Amino acid sequence: MAAGYSIVGWNGFKRVYDGMLALGLSLFVLAHFGAGLLSAPAGQHPSEIQLLIRATGAAAFSLLTIILCIGPLARLSPRVLPVLYNRRHLGVACFFTALVHAGLVVLWYHGFSEMNAIISLLTSNPRYASFGGFPFESLGVLALLILFVMAATSHDFWNHVLGPRLWKWIHMSVYAAYGLLVAHVMLGAVQGETGLAQAALAGGSALLVTGLHVVAGRLEWARDRTTDLPPEGEDWLDAGPAEAIPNGRAVILVPPAGERIAVFREGAKIYAVANACRHQGGPLGEGRILDGCIVCPWHGFQYRPEDGCSPPPFTEKIPTYRTRVTGGRVFVEPVPQPPGTPMAPSMAGEAG
Amino acid sequence: MNEAMAGAIWLGLGVYLGAGLLAGLGVILFGLKRLAPEAGRIPWRVRLVILPGLAALWPVVLARLAGVRPAEDRP
Repeated sequence: MAAGYSIVGWNGFKRVYDGMLALGLSLFVLAHFGAGLLSAPAGQHPSEIQLLIRATGAAAFSLLTIILCIGPLARLSPRVLPVLYNRRHLGVACFFTALVHAGLVVLWYHGFSEMNAIISLLTSNPRYASFGGFPFESLGVLALLILFVMAATSHDFWNHVLGPRLWKWIHMSVYAAYGLLVAHVMLGAVQGETGLAQAALAGGSALLVTGLHVVAGRLEWARDRTTDLPPEGEDWLDAGPAEAIPNGRAVILVPPAGERIAVFREGAKIYAVANACRHQGGPLGEGRILDGCIVCPWHGFQYRPEDGCSPPPFTEKIPTYRTRVTGGRVFVEPVPQPPGTPMAPSMAGEAG
Repeated sequence: MNEAMAGAIWLGLGVYLGAGLLAGLGVILFGLKRLAPEAGRIPWRVRLVILPGLAALWPVVLARLAGVRPAEDRP
């Protein structure tokens, strides 16, 4: 949150998370390196640098596959949310692993040329008009540039300066990077630079990522299709009986127009706020009220339910909505108030 | 792609990032207070972490400094 900046807001969970990430990444590279060494036919051992190039490339690709699976998996099961919490560290680790891979490639294959190594990389295979012979290295360079921009703008400072919408748009380019990398691996295999097994794994990974996104997307789509309409003669949306909202939790309404609305109950008090977190659009309505604040399930951003403001010294604000309770049922006016507008709670007398 | 085209891409990227680095240095020295007035004092190590992003996205950052606000903050 935007009250002050440190490089990483460390806590115990992040330390364990990053420790496991470093360990997993190291073991993967070592295992890949060792397997490459052992599986090569006698007398045809690739050099250690070549094995390291393949191992770091495979590690970066696998890490990116995992990163892309986390989002839809978290939509399918809340048990994945802890992995989502620190996903940006996976992204930064992925960029640095890919950078090591690219650096080794440039040094090993182009570093001894009299030509500038990058120009040599871009021109060593001139078959840009060919499909199967297309220089897969260029695709890797393009993907690396995208990963660089994403890693360089992963700090919360950037979310604040760019605004969540532009920040999100930039970070959605990860899908373009992934597509480029799938093509990079597959063309590499076609051109005999990487193994067919790696190409098959890359294809399988791409199918897995696509499949998970389709399943999660269908669920969201089905949810958005079942728009909550006001009852006849009403302008306000019916959120159901107050007691049906679990204490400290919310139900999420999908109005005919505009953003989803999270309707929270805290004891007898009913509040409604925008469902999208100001940080990265996390679903606030899937979070809970803790110590008087709504806590986003993605990264723990907090908002006061009565005015949609983050508690001082933080400055984030989300829209609030008018609510009323009639006959034990909660109604919400589907008109967002400006972010940070105080809104007195409705009282659900019978709910407790 | 021929050598001239690859050279032009390399030069263009270098000029863009070089200009971004200069603009970024200016921003971390003099402009951060305007970009994030509520953030208080930003430590130097954080400024260095921000620098690569400034080099990459300096046109957007300069627009922000010139008063162009993020889409969601516009009335």
